[in-house]
Parts: sequence; structure tokens; C-alpha cells
Amino acid sequence: MQVSKNRLRENIVAYIFLSPILLFFTVFFAFAVGFSVWVSFKQWNMLISPFSAPNVGLWNYSSLFSDPLFISALRNTIVYAFTTTIAVLILSLLIAVALNNIKGAAVWRFIYFAPTITPAVAVGMIWGYLYNPSRGIVNEILGWFGIPSHNWLTDPRYALMAIMITAVWAGMGASILIFTAGLKAIPQSYYDAAKIDGASRVKMFWSITLPLLKPTILFLLVTGMIGAWQVFDLVYMMGTNAPASSVEVLSLYMYNTAFVDFQMGKASAAAMILFVIVLITTLLILKAFRKGGLESYE
Amino acid sequence: MSKKRAKITEFVKYTSVAGVGTIMVIPFFWLVSASLMTLNEFISVPPKWIPSNPQWHNYVDVFQHIPFLHYYINSFIVAVSVTALVLLTSAMGGYAFAKLDFVGKKPLFRFTLSTMMFPAFLFLIPNFYLIKLFGWVSNYLSLIMPFAVSAYGIFLLRQFIMSIPPDLIDAAKIDGASHFAIFTKIIIPLSKPALATLAILTFIGQWNSFLWPLIITSFSPQMTTVPVGLSKLSLAFSTYTNQNLILAGMVLQVIPVVALFLYMQRYYIKGIVLTGFGGI
Repeated sequence: MQVSKNRLRENIVAYIFLSPILLFFTVFFAFAVGFSVWVSFKQWNMLISPFSAPNVGLWNYSSLFSDPLFISALRNTIVYAFTTTIAVLILSLLIAVALNNIKGAAVWRFIYFAPTITPAVAVGMIWGYLYNPSRGIVNEILGWFGIPSHNWLTDPRYALMAIMITAVWAGMGASILIFTAGLKAIPQSYYDAAKIDGASRVKMFWSITLPLLKPTILFLLVTGMIGAWQVFDLVYMMGTNAPASSVEVLSLYMYNTAFVDFQMGKASAAAMILFVIVLITTLLILKAFRKGGLESYE
Repeated sequence: MSKKRAKITEFVKYTSVAGVGTIMVIPFFWLVSASLMTLNEFISVPPKWIPSNPQWHNYVDVFQHIPFLHYYINSFIVAVSVTALVLLTSAMGGYAFAKLDFVGKKPLFRFTLSTMMFPAFLFLIPNFYLIKLFGWVSNYLSLIMPFAVSAYGIFLLRQFIMSIPPDLIDAAKIDGASHFAIFTKIIIPLSKPALATLAILTFIGQWNSFLWPLIITSFSPQMTTVPVGLSKLSLAFSTYTNQNLILAGMVLQVIPVVALFLYMQRYYIKGIVLTGFGGI
């Protein structure tokens, strides 16, 4: 009797402690997801009640795929997500290996990390000035090496690439820290044994470092991809002067559709598509790594 | 032979680290340098690297030409409030999931984790609709409430609180302490390292937050935060002439975050390594 009374009390206490969280998730998560799905089948402009907005079935979805700007956004986002994630992964791994056992590693790590704590908006603004064709220092520095000037952020051939370079510059810090933690976890004895067997540094990197970092690489691929699919701040700040089709990304398309054009249904449909893309890529990456024998390292 | 080779490797290592490091530093160097230029120096062609006479008054002018203080106060109120709420709700949820036994514990915890996989964009429209419905658009609640709970924070605190020895809690129970007393007298004080990690991640994430404040402020400009305010001025390049002042504003925007980072580096790095994100 006493036991069950205690158990009942513990249940009540637990739900009192959880009540703010449950309330929050009900309102700002469960309702929100349901609402998004529901609105994606409606033509709604936020001025009237969504309940009196007309149902349009799958029209929002089909209108997206017949909108050339959406197709451009989809293409640019795919290019951006894969390029930046993989470039950040490779560069930060190389730098983390170089920083391992280097003198003054803490100072270097701070230098590489500084862009990560800088607001993405500020990063976009700073690089916007740096890329300025006549006053910016990017063309100035390239000029020292005899490379001709370009209109980095207005030329459709270069604009997305210029934004991706900035994204890699800003995104490496966190990955370097995570790789450093991964490298520190590899026992030195592995390298010592390999040295005795006469293995070269390159050989050790391929057959010790890389395989043992697989869980770290997987983690960075998944989190990096999820973040990159949703890029907004940088493109918003740096893409304004380029032709829209060359730099438009899904998030920007959604923002403009929802909060500039007030086509809430169409924007919700785009959000659902983004969600499906994020889900599928995450699952694919997880599956690919499982085939590579991730289990043995977990 | 192998000694010479090792020396070459060392040389390559240091030059590449320093070379890429220079690329990392140049934009910051330019930012600080340009924030001290006169407008004429700032727009000169070819670009100037160092102001001939540092214009320290740019840092005073920015407060007079732009409602910068107002932005700063808004950002500060929002970041501090969200951080306080996230710490409280994460500690409460973390305690319940780590130390209490209740019906539906497992599915609720799994649900909490699964919310992290949903892209933020899915929530913009419904949350804006709700904020409007609640009548919060023109006050701070619009910027604070949608971020009051963090699934990541709950997860972090749950993992940490699980490592608190059960003996401590049992002893307190025998002494007749209530669950509330255990929470405030044992759990909270012992969770300080995890709370510090969560606090710095949340504060920096909110201080740098852009998209949601951008949406809210397009309906209520008095809610403008530092990133939104500066971005609007910066994008109006042709019409707004005090560009060098915006750079001074940007330096002032970055300073609190860098200071906080240097002061609490240990906790911040721990959070980064655990999440892979520079903010939440």
C-alpha cells in the first residue's frame, strides 16, 4: 500500500517537473507540425483565418515543381550542402591532424574557431565587403598573384561559389575541435606499433587514423548536412546582388514565399519537401556507414 | 635521412597551419581596421589596409546615428531570458528523465530526442501564427517563448544528472527531503558544469540568432535585435552612407560573444564536442 502510494506520488512529481516541457512541445512542436501539414494543402495568406482558407489539395506541391525558381533553389541547395559539408570535413580533418602535437595548439585552435562564434550575419556582411569588386581586399590580394578581378557576388558564375568559400571558412572551427577530440582518443600505442613495423606517416593516417575516426566523420557528416540544407543567414546577406536563380536556396525561397509574398500554403509545402530531404539524406548516410563496418568501432 | 625528413614534415605542418591561419585572421583584422576608418578611407580604391588616423569616435557615433543601444538592449534581454528559461526547463526535465520513475518515461524521452531532427523551417509559419494568436508580436515574448525549451538541453542535463550517485539522493530521502528539496539542494548545485555548458551555448546561439527575429521585426520594428538591425543597414548600402559605423557596430556585436567564449572556453568546447553545432 505504502509502495503504491509512493509510486503514485513519484508519477505526479515527475509530471509536475515535465509540465512546462510537455506544454511547450504540445504547442510549439506537435501543433506546429500538424498545422504545417494541414496548411500545405491550403491557399492561405495569413490575413484570414486558416479555417476559412480554401483547400487546394496537392496544388501547392505541383506549383512548386513547375516554378523554375524553386527548381534552381533545389539545385543550388544540393550543390551547397554537398560541397560545403565535404570541403569542411576534409579541410578540418587535415588541419586537426596538423594541429595535433603542435606548439601553441590552443592559440591556433582559437584562431580557427573565432569564425564559429561570430554571428553568421556578421560573417556574411564582412565577406560581402571583402568581395566588393573595386574596394574589396579579395580582388586586391588575388591581384598580387596576377589573378584578374571578378565580380564575385554579382556574377552568376561565381556567386554561389563565393558564398560556399565563406561558409567553409566559417564552418571549420567546430569540426576541427570535434576531430581534435577524436584524435586524442586514439591510443598512442597504435602508432608506436605501426612505427616499429616501419609504416610511413601517410600509411598510418590511412590505416589507423581514418578508420578510427569513422564515428566522428559520420557524426560530422550528419550534423553538417542537416545544417547545410537549411543555410539562410549567409545567402540572405551575400546573395542579394546576384541573379536569384544563381544563389537562391530552399530556406530563402521559403522565407520569401511565406513572409514577403504571404503564400503560406506554398511555403509550407516547400518546408515539407525540405523535411523529407533532410530525413532521407540522414538515413542514407547512416546506412552507407553501416555497410562500411561502423559497428566494429561503436 | 629520416631526421631530415621529419624536419621537412614539421616545416610543411607549420607553414600550412600558419598559412591557413592567416586566411582565418585577415577578415577580422580588416573588420577592426575598417571600423576605425573615415568614410573616405573606407570607400577608397584601391582598398586601404590601415587607417592613417584611427577614428575611435566611430564607436561613439554608432550609438548616435543608429538606435544601436536599443538593439543591444533587445538582444541582451532576449538572450538572457531564453538562457534562464532553457536552464530551468532543461534541469527540471533532465531530473525527471534521469532520476524519477513514471508511466510513459521511455516514449516521452524518445519523443524529446526526435524533435531535434525537424528542420527549423517547419516551425516558422505555425509559430508565427501562434504568436499572432496570443497577441505577442510586439513584445519580447515573441522572441523568447518559441525557444524556452531545448530538447538538446534536456538531453544534456539528463545525461549529466544520471551520473550523480543515487546514494546522495537516497540519504536525503531518508532525512525526509521532498523531491523539490532534492532538486534545488542536490541536483542543481551538482549540475553546475552541465548548466554552464548549456548556458554559454544557448546565450551565444540566441545572441547570434537571425531568422526568427528577422520575421518578428518585419512586423514590429521596435523588437529589432543587433544582427537584424545591422543587416538591414548593411543591405541598404546605396542609401545608407555611414557604412564605417556599421562595422564599428559589428565589432561591438562580436565582443560580448568573444569575451564570453574566452571566459568560459572550457564549457563551450565541451558543448561543441557534444553537439557539433556552434549554437542551438
